[in-house]
Amino acid sequence: MSRFLFPRWSNALLPFVLIVGAIAPLYVSLLVAYGFSPKTLDGQYQPEQPVPYSHALHVGKLGLDCRYCHNTVETASHAAVPPTQTCMNCHTQIHKDSPRLAPVRESYETGMPIEWIKVHKLGDYAYFNHAAHVTRGVSCVECHGRVDQMEVVHRAQPLAMGWCLDCHRNPVDHVRPPEEVFAIWKPTDTWTKDERLELIKKNNIHPNEYCSTCHR
Amino acid sequence: MPKIPRIIIYVLMIGGCFALIPPLVFARMRATPSPNAPIHIFWDMDLQPKYKTQTPNPLFADQRSMRPLVQGAVARGESYVDTHLYEGVVNGQWATTLPASISLDETTLNRGQQRFNIYCSACHGYAGFGDGAVNQRAMELVANANGPVNGTQWVAAKSLHDDTTRNQPMGQLFNTVTHGIRNMAGYGSQISVPDRWAVVAYVKALQFSQDAGSAGAQVAGASN
Repeated sequence: MSRFLFPRWSNALLPFVLIVGAIAPLYVSLLVAYGFSPKTLDGQYQPEQPVPYSHALHVGKLGLDCRYCHNTVETASHAAVPPTQTCMNCHTQIHKDSPRLAPVRESYETGMPIEWIKVHKLGDYAYFNHAAHVTRGVSCVECHGRVDQMEVVHRAQPLAMGWCLDCHRNPVDHVRPPEEVFAIWKPTDTWTKDERLELIKKNNIHPNEYCSTCHR
Repeated sequence: MPKIPRIIIYVLMIGGCFALIPPLVFARMRATPSPNAPIHIFWDMDLQPKYKTQTPNPLFADQRSMRPLVQGAVARGESYVDTHLYEGVVNGQWATTLPASISLDETTLNRGQQRFNIYCSACHGYAGFGDGAVNQRAMELVANANGPVNGTQWVAAKSLHDDTTRNQPMGQLFNTVTHGIRNMAGYGSQISVPDRWAVVAYVKALQFSQDAGSAGAQVAGASN
């Protein structure tokens, strides 16, 4: 058996091989960090809902307040998905024969809930409290994005622990006067940094990083 | 030095191009909405066998883990004995005053304004003239050139400044907010009892603001 010898031209490849060898570990680690981040894996989840409800129309155009439907948000940890009755406040009359509203009418007649698909889902070990945030000046838009412009709701933020902590460590970029929390079309920098620092003092905002704050 | 064979150079170039694909795929996953469920690599205890608010429970035919109240159930502290507070009725007549537990002050009126703007203004308009955005859209749908869209029927929302509505006692307004009237749905399940009274107080203030007349002007003048 003759010995294998690298052909002479392989010498010309040697610098290239060294460079690739040096870059490859960097490439793989960056790829894992970027690709396995919740920002990538959770992406902008946008499930198709049983009824093509448009927030862009109801909130953006008609100006319904978030609380018209999600009316528990100021007092409970959970921002309720509204009962079918809330839809039917108007839709017994408006678009009352629309085929797209058929599941709503069926739910209204049978009493069976519409099976909306949850878009913003946290791990079952995380206890997020909506009331604690919206009554202190953290707007809906900080986590949910410009829902008033969404035809179909998607995740605007990763809702990952590191992302929560970014704000808990530095809330100044994410607070506003509590009475403006539901004005999601106003950007947070409507208020200057000094005003927001003042709000943090005034509303006694001291988000902490104890494990038990969110994990109980 | 002998030349590197073409084929080797091609293979390396193609390999280099392939190395660009994963970052591009990840960048796309970040940037575009997708109906695909989030990918879980580390499941930890993300999904626990327990029921939280509004999660489905397959044990029940209607899938609700939050069970609806049995008919006739009364929550602790809500005895509904006080007909003035819960029904707006005093001695069989519509109440003309706020219940004792609701004080008429700035806090109540501000709260009433806020709740009115959330729940009522959609149809009745922010000033109560029946010109809310939902009302306007419904009118457009009815007036469509090819006939009402999807069978839309709409009776224009009431102006709260009509003589009939303006002269209604507070208890009757409270009843309307709670149970609805004609085509208007009841808001009893969406607005709490004290908030409904706050809305009633605010509506009364709105009505007064549009019908101050000379007496009202004098009151306003006197307070200045």
